[in-house]
Amino acid sequence: MKKFVFLILLVFAVIFILTPVYLMVKISLSPPAEILRQHPSLGMEGVTLKHWKTVLFSGQIWPPLRKSLTVAALSVIFSLLLGIPGAYALSRLPFKLSSAILLFIFLSRMIPEIEIALPISISFIRIGLLDTDLGLTMAHTLRILPIVTWILVSSFKTIPKDLEDAAFMDGCSKVRSLLTIVIPLALPGIAVAAIFGFLGSWDEFTYAVYLAIANKTLPLVVYYYINRASFFLASSYATVITIPVIIVTYALQKYLKAENLAGAVKG
Amino acid sequence: MMRKYFTEVLLLMPLLLYLLGFTLVPMAYATILAFTNYLNGTFPSLASFSYIFSHFQFKEAVFNTLFITLVGLTLELLLGLGLALLLLERFRGRRFFRALMLLPLGIPTIVVASNMRYLFDTNGFLNEILYRLGIIEIPLNWMGGGLHTLFSLVIADMWKVTPLVMLILLAGLESISREVLEAAEIDGASYLKRLRFILLPLLKPFITMALIIRGIDAFRIFELPLALTGRTVRVLATYSFFEYREFGNPNTSAASAAILMVMILIAIAVYMKVIKQREISL
Amino acid sequence: MRKFIPLLLLAAFCLSSCGPMQPRLRVVMGLGEVEWKVMREEIFPPFEKEAGVKIQAIQMEAGDLPQVLEAQVRAGKVKIDLFAQDNMQLVYLANKGLIEDLSDQEKEIPKNVIPALIQACKFKEKLFFMPYRPNVQITYYNRKKFNQYDLEPPRDWDELLSAAIVFKREEKVGKILFKAYGGVPTATQLYEWIVSAGGDPLSINDAGCIRTFTFLQKLWPYLSPDSIRAKFDTSNEYLARDSAYLMQNWPFGVRIIIEEYGKKEISTYHGFSGPVREAHVVGGEVLGVPKGSKNKELALRFIRYLQSKEVQEKLVSELGWPSIRSDAYGTVPKWMKPHFRSVNGALKHGVFRKNVTYWNEFVKYINEAFVEIVTRGAPVKRTLDFYHKQLEAAKRRT
Repeated sequence: MKKFVFLILLVFAVIFILTPVYLMVKISLSPPAEILRQHPSLGMEGVTLKHWKTVLFSGQIWPPLRKSLTVAALSVIFSLLLGIPGAYALSRLPFKLSSAILLFIFLSRMIPEIEIALPISISFIRIGLLDTDLGLTMAHTLRILPIVTWILVSSFKTIPKDLEDAAFMDGCSKVRSLLTIVIPLALPGIAVAAIFGFLGSWDEFTYAVYLAIANKTLPLVVYYYINRASFFLASSYATVITIPVIIVTYALQKYLKAENLAGAVKG
Repeated sequence: MMRKYFTEVLLLMPLLLYLLGFTLVPMAYATILAFTNYLNGTFPSLASFSYIFSHFQFKEAVFNTLFITLVGLTLELLLGLGLALLLLERFRGRRFFRALMLLPLGIPTIVVASNMRYLFDTNGFLNEILYRLGIIEIPLNWMGGGLHTLFSLVIADMWKVTPLVMLILLAGLESISREVLEAAEIDGASYLKRLRFILLPLLKPFITMALIIRGIDAFRIFELPLALTGRTVRVLATYSFFEYREFGNPNTSAASAAILMVMILIAIAVYMKVIKQREISL
Repeated sequence: MRKFIPLLLLAAFCLSSCGPMQPRLRVVMGLGEVEWKVMREEIFPPFEKEAGVKIQAIQMEAGDLPQVLEAQVRAGKVKIDLFAQDNMQLVYLANKGLIEDLSDQEKEIPKNVIPALIQACKFKEKLFFMPYRPNVQITYYNRKKFNQYDLEPPRDWDELLSAAIVFKREEKVGKILFKAYGGVPTATQLYEWIVSAGGDPLSINDAGCIRTFTFLQKLWPYLSPDSIRAKFDTSNEYLARDSAYLMQNWPFGVRIIIEEYGKKEISTYHGFSGPVREAHVVGGEVLGVPKGSKNKELALRFIRYLQSKEVQEKLVSELGWPSIRSDAYGTVPKWMKPHFRSVNGALKHGVFRKNVTYWNEFVKYINEAFVEIVTRGAPVKRTLDFYHKQLEAAKRRT
């Protein structure tokens, strides 16, 4: 009996999780006649690559893909430039002080994005940063800095202080020790921070909808097609955005720890 | 102290200045906007606030936001706890099941919205399934407004964030030592009793953490209602968005964002208090 | 892992820096997917070849263009060479000085262009825009379903209401679509109905407005539930999916519903009249050149190309758009002819919307009045009076 209930619950959970993803893939592969009727088919009756061809070969995907990649890459660079020195300092400051600062950094993420996006969107109109790569990068950097710093701090903390102390004995400055000892040792951690930062910008929506208007990022393209009720293109573009995120999520599964995720990775 | 950590402070400054500059300055500007009269631009003025407070759609937006937060949190917590308890059992395929449950974390929220649109459309798949099962004859209008629309939004949001709640709670459950559980089992306590008297009390700090983190996110919910219900059913964040982008009114937009901000500040204050009391590390 | 990151960054930079080798003409339009396809495949290539340029097409909604243009003009970095804009969103662009004065180009406009369309492009005697695409709503209906219930396409509001009641009774769910999503589509729809009830829409609360809203309140329970999400693009899908059997929409839907989705049972006619007259708003788009565009000459050349007979003929027959030229209907395929009869029938009852500075406010308040009265059942007169006062306050501001 207990086993039976257990099994039912499991099956339900699996269906609940898989249905929406199945629908996305199904619709991106379905001929229009199968969906555009009063009673759409549930299984895969016909398969067509028509929508995928439209997405990949009509040339429309390149500008948003370029924008998404550029902004994500620049945001990662900015946030590493700001985050690495900051995180190094935090990992060396007394525990009480550094955790207070980390708490502040964490809290800055809790401000509703619209409260920030609205005023900067208005100022960006004035200074001509609206709808530019740089403008959106600045906002995305703000968004991903907390998670990047967070991961960097925990990775810098694992580097034994003895190594640095030895360097200080030789008259090495803190900045040099950061560059020559800490960063090379912490490269895997930096890579993880960069990847999470990249994803944080890749699927960001709120700032993008305020700050990118003509030059859309990929999530905005999906939103545009949802609004236009273009089922097939929305699902095809949605699949395009999703694939890299899923790959990274599973590749970095072991970093998906509760404390890292707390308010940080939520897309 | 200052001298000893001089380099560290210097290294930390750019990070802190960027974060502070990019939050405090915009927030100050937003506050000025909110207290500016939306009709004639005089400052300070409460006109923008009195406009939104008299506006029926703003009242609905506040109600919707609170509803989604309260109902959503309750359901997410129950479901997350259920899934975490399932995963605590040892069964074949547990690792696979755990990986599967993480799938929503790998789906961007706007994609979730797009997927849910297929599900909840009038000629969509949920109605089709219900129709084939013989439960309904006329398609239900899931996204047309009313409580069932709010429930649909809650379900969509749950799909995306329950795994997060599950992970937090699972971390909590795994931190409880097996011996405690096994001792209770030997004593012959029933499953529900063990849950009620042993697991839940020990899990309390983790539940609080999940509640607060998710609670603040739930207040800010934006993409899902924007893409799924648009103007029909607004929450505070989308209300503010529409006031600005559709109607070109930054003042009323800022005023409603300020209300959202106050709601979140209250939530943060509660959070800080809980942290102090319980000494939960982040 | 370590090798992966620099590679990724490199790739991103390559993509972003691979700049143009050829001169580019950057054109902004707000189009649907089917329309873009025709533009990219049929309209752009001949011009690109002839002028030796590459056209970079940018999709933007009409409501977003003013913000973007303002940002670019103020920053002195104009990245748009030419834009097509909804003919109701022009005042702001003209008043704020964001666009080039094209008065010296008036003589270049071909003779066969309908004069009323040129007049609509002028502000304070100056020609700021160029006509390129007029538009008028026609009524689509599902012939098969109307025959099935022995109904005729409605000629006036009473017949519309009784058809709506029949569908609701027979199919348990309303099948007549009203564009109630909000924003400009709903405001335009209401504008049309109010004029046909003898009212002035911009007053919001005169007798014609009251009559329209009272009727809509009565009609609402019998309408399709999808009305709440219906606007110009989604409506086509609802008709194609049999979730609605009658709607008013722009003619571009003909190509999508009948050709693209193969719904042969859809017919069109010019539409129904209101209690006072029949009226159909003349919408459409005009072309403009942002102030400070570096490619003004090229943009003007492209405008002339778009106004030429062969392009207008293509737009008519490929997209089902009505034309600015009276001589562009020669190549219409046979199956489309009845639909252009609908278009020309509707144009006979065409009305131009007044181009007022407070159009955005009007859109907002008329929509809110609609939601409150029609979907929430608020009292008609009192609510309309309230929004009339709101609009008056907004008028004083602008």
